This record gives sequence, structure tokens and C-alpha cells, in this order.
Amino acid sequence: MYDSPISERQLTQQEIKFSARGVQVYYGDNHAIKGVDVDLEDKTVTAFIGPSGCGKSTFLRCLNRMNDTIDICRVEGTITLDDQDIYDKRVDPVQLRARVGMVFQKPNPFPKSIYDNVAYGPRIHGMARNRDELDSIVEKSLRRAAIWDEVKDRLNAPGTGLSGGQQQRLCIARAVATEPEVLLMDEPCSALDPIATAQVEELIDELRQDYSVVIVTHSMQQAARVSQKTAFFHLGHLVEFGETSQIFTNPEDKRTESYITGRIG
Amino acid sequence: MPLQWLFLIVLAIATLGYVMGRRRALAAAHHDRRRLHSLPSYYGANAGLKAFVPAFLFAVIWLLVQPLVVTNTVSNMLGADVIPDTSSRGLVMSEVRRAADGLDAAVAQGFITKDRARSADADLNEVTESLKSAGQIITSELTRPILNAAQRYRAMTGAGASIMSGLVILIALAGALWGIWQAKAEFRARNVVEQGIRALLIAAASIAILTTLGIVLSLIFNTIEFFRLYPAADFFLGLNWAPSFSGRGGSSDLGVLPLLWGTLYISLVALSVAVPIGLFAAVYLSEYASPRARGIAKPLLEILAGIPTIVYGLFALLTVGPLLMQVFGEDGLGWMQAGTAVMTAGLVMGIMLIPFVSSLSDDIINAVPQAMRDGSYGLGATQSETIRQVVLPAALPGIVGAILLAASRAIGETMIVVLGAGAAARLSLNPFDAMTTVTAKIVSQLTGDADFASPEALVAFALGMTLFVITLALNVFALYVVRKYREQYE
Repeated sequence: MYDSPISERQLTQQEIKFSARGVQVYYGDNHAIKGVDVDLEDKTVTAFIGPSGCGKSTFLRCLNRMNDTIDICRVEGTITLDDQDIYDKRVDPVQLRARVGMVFQKPNPFPKSIYDNVAYGPRIHGMARNRDELDSIVEKSLRRAAIWDEVKDRLNAPGTGLSGGQQQRLCIARAVATEPEVLLMDEPCSALDPIATAQVEELIDELRQDYSVVIVTHSMQQAARVSQKTAFFHLGHLVEFGETSQIFTNPEDKRTESYITGRIG
Repeated sequence: MPLQWLFLIVLAIATLGYVMGRRRALAAAHHDRRRLHSLPSYYGANAGLKAFVPAFLFAVIWLLVQPLVVTNTVSNMLGADVIPDTSSRGLVMSEVRRAADGLDAAVAQGFITKDRARSADADLNEVTESLKSAGQIITSELTRPILNAAQRYRAMTGAGASIMSGLVILIALAGALWGIWQAKAEFRARNVVEQGIRALLIAAASIAILTTLGIVLSLIFNTIEFFRLYPAADFFLGLNWAPSFSGRGGSSDLGVLPLLWGTLYISLVALSVAVPIGLFAAVYLSEYASPRARGIAKPLLEILAGIPTIVYGLFALLTVGPLLMQVFGEDGLGWMQAGTAVMTAGLVMGIMLIPFVSSLSDDIINAVPQAMRDGSYGLGATQSETIRQVVLPAALPGIVGAILLAASRAIGETMIVVLGAGAAARLSLNPFDAMTTVTAKIVSQLTGDADFASPEALVAFALGMTLFVITLALNVFALYVVRKYREQYE
């Protein structure tokens, strides 16, 4: 059924990166997330699936406190990253976001050159001592995002001039340039064509070597292809969480089964 | 027939056409509107538009052409011997026109009978008397040829007005009838009316453009006239502005450079006040302010834009000038001779421009997609890093455009300069010296009692033209900048 059962069994023994307990999220009066408990492992791809409006993107944005930028949003419960509460008053959300990178639904390169797009994070965080180090960080990040060969001759061209798939990989390069520990991806392929999607998926699989990756997706095939763990959200509840192979072949909950077989959604 | 009446009659015909057209269309469909191609009101509007628009256009064209034709004919009637050596045909013609108007007024007030006013051999003295008792001003004694010309002028104008009234009403009636006749069930009234409305919109747009063209042309002819009297090189390169008002010209120095320098210097001061303050205000309003604070602060800021510039001028003259004098004047640092100075006008003009910069920049900053900010926050950037490194660069072309538009307003500003900067044209680097600008000098050159044909008065048009070209270039450049970078973040 799956390609390499042995490696997956090994994966389940990874240490816990993110741990959420009793997370509730409110947008004003709207109760968007209702008591989610979940443990996300290191060096694993975890997929969040579920129908639109089920809260999977909202939960993803809780993990790097992006919801802080929305005035009416309120988060309760605890989320820990390496056993440290990220909603603690002493935690600087800005530094948290440097550790937890994010790739968005629509490619959003800055209106700057390709080089400056990737160098943006390292520059802000003072990661390079000189121009040479910065150059090597940029090259390494672009290589890791599998876009180096396509852009190495035009690093000074604007990032907005690339094609959609290239832009998304540029955004991934931009995110990995700050050396995050976790990479959050909010429907990274929804604006891409199948070929670009395949490239990004391949990339996600490679990123698993070094990072914990959390991906929100509407495509169940994609979740099955790239993830080792899958979480199914429905109406703000985390309905089921487990091995991807198990969720897609032998779900425990009726709702999960209905969603996967296309009866609700 | 007075024009108002004519207008009302045409309007009545159009209204009648509307009602009849609508009714006829409904009758044709046996009072079932589903059988009509268009809604009944479209059939009415078709008839109404056909009655009103052609008649109205015809009247306008007639009113424009008639005076030309009449003047031309009457002018040809006057032989060369009638025109005195000291005068010109134009002056004699204006006398004819005055006499004709006088006759009209005298007839209306009953001092002279209609026949008398019309008869070719009327007694000159008697006519003059009746004109005087009607309170009409006659510059010189009426002569026989002028009286005859005036009578001819009256007759032609009167006849023209009657013919026009008749034709206009006929055209309106014909249009209304045509529209009503068209009102059948299968007639596509909606499409026709849409086309008519489109034509009206095009006409409105072209009137605006034609007016601009007319303004430019009126400037150009007078400017050419000026350069005929005054060498262009002296105007553009002269370092001295000293017009003489003796009326004969010749001894005037009309160099534009001191004025341009004043304009640019004051604008520079104004912009260096307005751009930072306006930009920071815009950043605060669009990025940091809560919706409540924004809702209060933004309209308050925009009130500044609604204050008439003369009020700013008074503020400069009465408040800012004396205030600056206390610090930089005789008692203070001693740099300033009087309250009116480049600094005074520049500061106040800068305050005037703040809402201009802030409001436009605020809109532009708001137009930067939230995805840009999210991308930056997601990489661990703080809010001010995001604004400095992502939002402002993305909004930069728009902000540059806003600044250039503000600059062209600063260059065109007059009242603040007149009251705040003094009237002395001088080339100086000291911002506490009194200086003046192109616009302020245009006002003073045209409000003096110099002969209108002298270079001292005509220079105002050359100045206006120079200013027009500069602001036009700035606006074009602003548009170019905005357009070139507009799609950068799409």
C-alpha cells in the first residue's frame, strides 16, 4: 500500500515539535477552533485536511502567531514549541516567526529582486557577517527550493517577473533562508498548475530531511502523496489524527470516511 | 422671443414627445408591455431626446455664428471714410454695437417709437436725445453712417433671433414627431437611447478637453505677442525683474529667472515640510492607527485641505511671520528683515500640502496587498521593518506621484505667496529674504493700469505659459512614474 513502511515506522518515533492542548480560537463572536489537542513531530510532514471553513488554516496560523495581526482574533489554550509555551508573555512573536517559517496560499514575492527576496530574512535577523556569507545563504536557500538553476543568471531580476510555480518556490526559498525549525504551508499549491505542483511536492518531501513541515491542503491526493501524518478538521473540531496511510485507508471516524470518499465537503 | 422662453418651449415639446412616445408604444403593444422590445419609458425618452438635443445644439451653434455674420456684414457696410484716422474698425464697430443696444433700451423704455428707431432718415439729434433720456451712454456724437449701421445691426440681430426661434421650434417638433412615429413594438428604443446617452457623455468629455485647449491657445497667442515686443533670450535668461510702469516699455527688465528661483525655493521649503509630515501621518493612519483613531483623524486631516488658501495666507502674514521674526529677526538671530519671507510662505504652504500628501499616500499604502505584509511578518520581521522594507518600497511609485502632484500645486499657489513671501523679486539663497513667485507676479502685472498691449502686461501670459509648461511636465512625469511601476506587486 505504501512505498516504505519501515521508514514510516521510524518516523513515528520522532520527537514532538509542536504540542497543542485545548486550543480555542474566536474571531469576535465566531468560535472557529473548538478544543484542538495535537502533537506535531519533527522531521515529518503533517497534512491538515478538511472542508472550507473548518479551521485548518486558522489553526496553522496559531502555530506562528500570525493571528496576532488580526485584531478581533483571540486564542485560548496552550501551544508549546519544544516545550516552551509560544503564547507566553515573554515570547516575542517576531522571533517565534523566525523559527517557524510560513509559505502562503498565493505566491507573494516582494516587489524586489530575486536576490533581495531571499536575503530579506537573513538581513533582518543579521544572519550574515558579510556579503559573501549572504551570497552563500541565498544560493543555498535557492538550491534547497530547487529553483537555483532557473534563476542563477538573473538574481537581480524582479521576483514578481517569475512564473507562478517559480514564485512559490522563491517564497519557499525565502522561508528556508531564515533557517526555521518548522515550515508552515497554507495551501501552497492551490494557485499552481499540475507541473508546478509536482515540483513543489517533491520539494516538500526533500524539506522533510531537515524540518518539520505542516501543510494545509484541499487536495486529498496531495495529502496522501506528501504527508506522513494527517489531521482531519471539521467545523472547528480535530476529528481524527493519525498516520496518513491509516486515515486514507481505514479511518476510525464516520465523518472522516465521508469526507475522504467525497460525501461531505 | 427671449431665450428662456424658447428653452422652455423646446423643453415642453420634449416632455410632450416623451409622454406621446410612451403612450403610442404602449398602444401599439395593446397595453401589454411584454410585447415591447424595450421598456415603455425608453420609447418616450427616444422621442424626448430627438426633440430636445438637435434643437438645443442648433440653437447653440446659431447663437455662436450669428454675431460673427452680423458683425461682418455691418462692418462691410461701413466705408473706409467713416473710420477716423485715430481710431480703428474695431472701435467703430463697438460704437455701432453700443448705439444698437441703446436703441433697444430706448425702445423698451418708450422714449422712441419702433418706427423711428428703424427709419433710415431719422433725425440724428432727436435720436441722440432719446438715447440720452433713456440713460444710455454715447461716447461721441452719433453720425449718420453709424446710426444707419446700428439700425442695420438691430434689424439683422432681431431677424436672426426670430428666424432662429422658428427653426428651433420646427426642429424640436420634427424630432418629437419622428420619435413618436418610431414608437412601435419592434423598435429597439433601448439601444437607440443608450447610443444617445453615450453621445452626450462624449460631448461632455470633449467640452472639458476643448476648454483646456482654448486656455492654452489664448495663452499662446498673447505669449507670441509678448515675444514680438520683448526678446525671448532676455526673458528666459535675464537675472533681473524690474518692470517699469511708465506705460511705454523699453526700460523694463523682465527676466524670469528671479521669479522661477522664488517659485522653486518656496516650493522646496513647502515640500520639505509637507513630504515628511504627510508621509509619516499616512504611515501612522494606514498601518498603526486603530480603525477608531483612523476614523477620527483622517477627516480631521482632510479639513486642512478644505481651508481656502487666502486663509492660509492670513495665517502666514499674521501668525507665522511674526513668530519667525521673534526667533530669526532683529531681536533674535538677525537673519530676517521682515515677516514676509520664503520661510514664512514655505512653512504655511507646506502645512497646506500635508493633507494632499497624506491622503494620497494613505490610499496608496492601503492598496499594497495584505499578502506582502503577511509574507514579511511570516519571516519574522517587525512592523516597522515590514513598513520600511516592504510596504513603502511597494508603494513608492504611487508616493512619488503624490509628491509630484503636491509639487505642482505648490508651484501654482498664489495667495499664500502674495501675503507671506513679499513682492520683491530677487535671487538670494537666504530663506529669510522676501522673494516672490511667478504666480504672484502674474497677478501684479495684470492688476496694474499698464496698457494691455505693453510688454509689462503681456509678460503675464508668458509667465503663465512658462508655469503651465512646468506643471504640465511635472504632471506628465508623475503619471509616467506611477504608470511605469504600477503593476509591480500584481
